Amino acid sequence: MTLFFATIVLLHIVKKKSVLAVIYGIQSFAIVLLLMCSSLHTGAVSLLLIALLVLVVKVILAPLFITRLIKKHNMKFLVGTYANTPLTLIIVAVFVAIAHSKAFLPLVDIIPANRELLSLVLSALFISLFLLVNRKGALSQIIGVLSLENSIVAFGLLAGLEQTPALQIGIIFNLSVWIVIATIFISMIYKHFGSLDVTEMTHLKD
Amino acid sequence: MEIIIIFSSILIATVACLFSKHRVIIESVSIVASLVAFIETMIVAFKVASTGTCVSYQIFFVDALGTIVMLIIALVGLASTIYSVQYLRDETAKGIVGFTRVKQYFILLNLFLAAMFMAVVSSNPVFTWISVEATTLSTAFIISFYNKPSAMEAAWKYLIINSIGLLLGFFGTLLYFTSLPGTGEAGLITWNSLLSNAAHFNPSIIKIAFIFILIGYGTKVGLVPMHTWLPDAHSKAPAPISALLSGVLLNVALVVVLRFKEITDAVVVQSFSQHLLIVFGFLSIVVAALINFTQKNYKRLLAYHSIENMGIAALGFGFGGLGVLMAILHMIYHAVVKSALFLSSGTILLKYGSSKIIKVKGVLTALPITSILFLAGFFIITGTPPFGMFLTKLLILSVGIKAYPVVSIASLFFAAMLFVAFFEHATAMVFGEKPAEIETGEGSIWLVIPPLALVAVVVCLSFYIPPFLLTLINQAALHN
Repeated sequence: MTLFFATIVLLHIVKKKSVLAVIYGIQSFAIVLLLMCSSLHTGAVSLLLIALLVLVVKVILAPLFITRLIKKHNMKFLVGTYANTPLTLIIVAVFVAIAHSKAFLPLVDIIPANRELLSLVLSALFISLFLLVNRKGALSQIIGVLSLENSIVAFGLLAGLEQTPALQIGIIFNLSVWIVIATIFISMIYKHFGSLDVTEMTHLKD
Repeated sequence: MEIIIIFSSILIATVACLFSKHRVIIESVSIVASLVAFIETMIVAFKVASTGTCVSYQIFFVDALGTIVMLIIALVGLASTIYSVQYLRDETAKGIVGFTRVKQYFILLNLFLAAMFMAVVSSNPVFTWISVEATTLSTAFIISFYNKPSAMEAAWKYLIINSIGLLLGFFGTLLYFTSLPGTGEAGLITWNSLLSNAAHFNPSIIKIAFIFILIGYGTKVGLVPMHTWLPDAHSKAPAPISALLSGVLLNVALVVVLRFKEITDAVVVQSFSQHLLIVFGFLSIVVAALINFTQKNYKRLLAYHSIENMGIAALGFGFGGLGVLMAILHMIYHAVVKSALFLSSGTILLKYGSSKIIKVKGVLTALPITSILFLAGFFIITGTPPFGMFLTKLLILSVGIKAYPVVSIASLFFAAMLFVAFFEHATAMVFGEKPAEIETGEGSIWLVIPPLALVAVVVCLSFYIPPFLLTLINQAALHN
């Protein structure tokens, strides 16, 4: 889980777009490992199949899609953030503190043995939300949404809230379609605006 | 069986649209599918009105509230599909869209309708979530249909904000599963199993879960402050899609919130969810009223009006008692009349080629029937007597006046403000002298019949509610 958490913090700091896709791949790989551990722990074979599916979709295909997109449009560096790096890290620390606060005790106590891990995943969830707010780039927003989804999946696994295999496949299928649609939109946005900076989208003012 | 037929007909139409190279076939199969869906939904409605529920193969479950929303989807879906045919033909004639776009449009329209039906009839909350997310995915491309930078921007905003909202809603959904035994392998968790297990829930977790649900699905409902995507998406989408987004989709998401509210109320004191709904509802009314004064675009005007009406419905559910009954009626009236207004706005857009209020004058001369429909829709939706929405707004606010006098009186004040703002804009558009270059006369009759039928339905429902619908409304009110 430390690896998982570290990737989310890194997503805030990196400047190169290609690195962003790699970090997301690593983060998703942490989810695969978590699924495999859960499968070994519960003896559920279906979880292994889900892990395989996650590996294909989130670890291989999604980063590949994003990397191809970056290469296609020759986009190298990420659009800026609203808060600078030191301030970003301070806000990240505040979110970690909030996730560890009494207000969220009922959530992290769902499985008392996993309290620390659940707190960490809850922090990751908040930090992913902050990534969406803080980054000005459309590509970062995609990664932010995917990272948020990973955080929720991690929380579900650690809190023992796995769904039936059919539903998990449904969720992954949904996510796959989302990734395809979002990357198509990225291409269209780049074509229309010549940039992925969402602050340059100002056609809806009236 | 009826539910299976609904999905089969829509999916067959989608596949036919995908492979057909003839526009007439694409249009015909889409209309037939929505007609079949409408007829089958009526059968489901009569069944649920007489037996209470309709269950098929354990994965589908329809209660009274779900049936009401199914009826809304089917009715507005049919009207929008019929309207779409002529609307897109006119746009093709003007060189705005080509055959490929039309094909894409009908495929996505059918998928959108299927996803909305699925969200309402699914017995499993996670599958409901998948379906609501599918509504986002199917409509994102239709919002960017005209391929303009502003449409692209609106679609992107819609995609990202709704995806974030729905992920938070998904997180909230998962939290409701915490007290159930064996969520993973044991089988499908249904709305009913959640409700029957309410005694085992941890109230603290359920409180947090409901907040996530309200923020998550509330984004889709368009409640303030999660509403920012709504005016942009509704104003940039083609008119029939705006009708579906504004009249139907908001209600679909609201039903999901209400289903979780029912479970939450069984675990923690009812006032918890009620207070939250009142806060979000009141905020929605205030913001919509204030922003509408400065609107320059008539489709955005209608979109903000949807936010206000969802706010009023949320207030009704928050106030409880008779407020719930009125809120359900309000949902029905709003869905039908708002769809009629958006369809009329589409005809105005086709005629004037602009959605800016300042560029639209003398609609009464240019489009006599459409302008009357637009004005009728305006009077109905702003709660002018003797129409149904007058009664629902009045009774919702009078229910709340004892316990929440400030909220009720302030809501009345802001609703009145909204009436003034809407009146100012609507009269500016309808009356006055039309520009010389605009020709007089309605276009095709198929651009008039769908909104006319919808206005006729809402006027009839203002004075007479059929027994089966009344039974459904009463049953739905009992559970909320």
